[in-house]
Amino acid sequence: MSMITSHTAFQFAAVLYALALAAALAPGKRSLPVNLPLAAAIGCNLLAVGLRCHQAWPMLPMHLGPVALPLCLGLFYPLAARNCEPSLRRPTQRILLAVVVLLTALALCFPKDFYLPFLKSKTLLAHGFLWFGVVGKACFILSAAWAANALLPRQSSHAISAMGRSHRWAALGFSLWTASMFSGELWSYLGWGTPVVWEDPALTLTMAAWFFYGCLLHLHLTRSWSQTHRALYASLGGLVMLTLTCLPDLGPFRIPFGL
Amino acid sequence: MKTVSARLWNRLSSINLTVALCLLLTMDLVWGYFCLNRRTALFTPLNDLGLIPWAQTYGSHNLLATGWFFLLLTLLALLAVNTFACTTSRVAQLLRAKGPGGWQRLALRLAPHVMHYGLIVILAGYLCSYLFTQVLTSSTLAPGSHLSLPGAGGQVQLLAVEPEYYQGERLAFWKNEVIALRARLLLSDNTGQREAFLSCNRPVRFQGYSLHLIDFAPKSLNGMKMKTRIDLHVRKDPGVALYLAGMALFSLGLILYFYQWIVHREAHR
Repeated sequence: MSMITSHTAFQFAAVLYALALAAALAPGKRSLPVNLPLAAAIGCNLLAVGLRCHQAWPMLPMHLGPVALPLCLGLFYPLAARNCEPSLRRPTQRILLAVVVLLTALALCFPKDFYLPFLKSKTLLAHGFLWFGVVGKACFILSAAWAANALLPRQSSHAISAMGRSHRWAALGFSLWTASMFSGELWSYLGWGTPVVWEDPALTLTMAAWFFYGCLLHLHLTRSWSQTHRALYASLGGLVMLTLTCLPDLGPFRIPFGL
Repeated sequence: MKTVSARLWNRLSSINLTVALCLLLTMDLVWGYFCLNRRTALFTPLNDLGLIPWAQTYGSHNLLATGWFFLLLTLLALLAVNTFACTTSRVAQLLRAKGPGGWQRLALRLAPHVMHYGLIVILAGYLCSYLFTQVLTSSTLAPGSHLSLPGAGGQVQLLAVEPEYYQGERLAFWKNEVIALRARLLLSDNTGQREAFLSCNRPVRFQGYSLHLIDFAPKSLNGMKMKTRIDLHVRKDPGVALYLAGMALFSLGLILYFYQWIVHREAHR
């Protein structure tokens, strides 16, 4: 009996996300051509994530981040631009879909899903570490998307509104990132006796992202930089930072739709 | 003299310094990622040796690969001082200018400062942990054998290992492998004896030490037959309570901050 695998489901999701992006970039204001493939893509992505979690439960599926992150962003898509005008909403949603397509392409080209789960990950703290981190990172991407939106040439009230939203998503992301770090530290203490295990280089990037967004929140609260500089920091800096945090979850190159 | 100290305090409590330090920390940690990725073996002993012996050996002899770590320590120390000065100044201002709304409102306004103090406590806990932790690495116990804890007069004996093998179908790669392990220990000291159960993420605490299960054998029902044993890390870490308290404080501040945010948003609707 042939069954759909997590990888196949994710391949379908990637194609459907790309279709949704193409529809979003096409001229016209109808939302159905975007929402339909997007809903199907989220369904396929959910299946891919669900299958990998099912295969590893109660342990943690290794390097699930690149597969779970597009799912979170897809689920955030309707929430990302709630209660705002279409002229303000569309650029953010387009950026968001572009990032989702880029992430799925990266996850398909550089998969690292060949590692088996390990016994010590059989704790809720490990799952908290993963999921708080993934949702936090999705919030950071939304913050970067809104900041990029604020840089587009238009009325200043739009830019102020976009930066306000960027700040809110960054604050939410920072809280979830902190929760992820605390879960990881507690797990590390219970499992290995120390809150920081120096065998894992990814922890430095996790801390780097925490300081980067801590700095961003201070810049927002104190207004010590101009709005344009803050928007540049949150969008370009955020993009660089988030790309770096994805590095440890990426493996060697594979042909994405190879048999 | 007073103006010099006031000027120094103002410099140290500057928010611009916070921003600069956060940016430098970010860049340093990114540099650290590449160093740690290439030379992981250099940093592994840091878990067991403690900061000073590690810095005198691995750290100082490989400065190209470990320089970022020393810079990290310096920047974190500066950040702790800056956070303390900045937060204390703001808290003093808040306490002096008690606005309307009473203590409840004041507590909510203090939320970000509670987080900042939490961060300082966490950093102090880590420092304490890396400076003063005593570690007994690779303490192996077979059933019946025992381990003496240094300076405490206590003994740990392994009574039995109770493995649970996976027998389901879902985790094909885990078939007949140990999916859960419980080690039954007998802890004895001058006051008496008690039994305790140790497992992968559940350490046992005894006489100020914590016992962590690092490895065990056999791992499988089939395959090469190995003698039953468990490998422990035994640690006496005086920083644990401090960094756990810091995390609790930071989380409390975060919850208060979000509560204040929601209340503020509802009030403006």
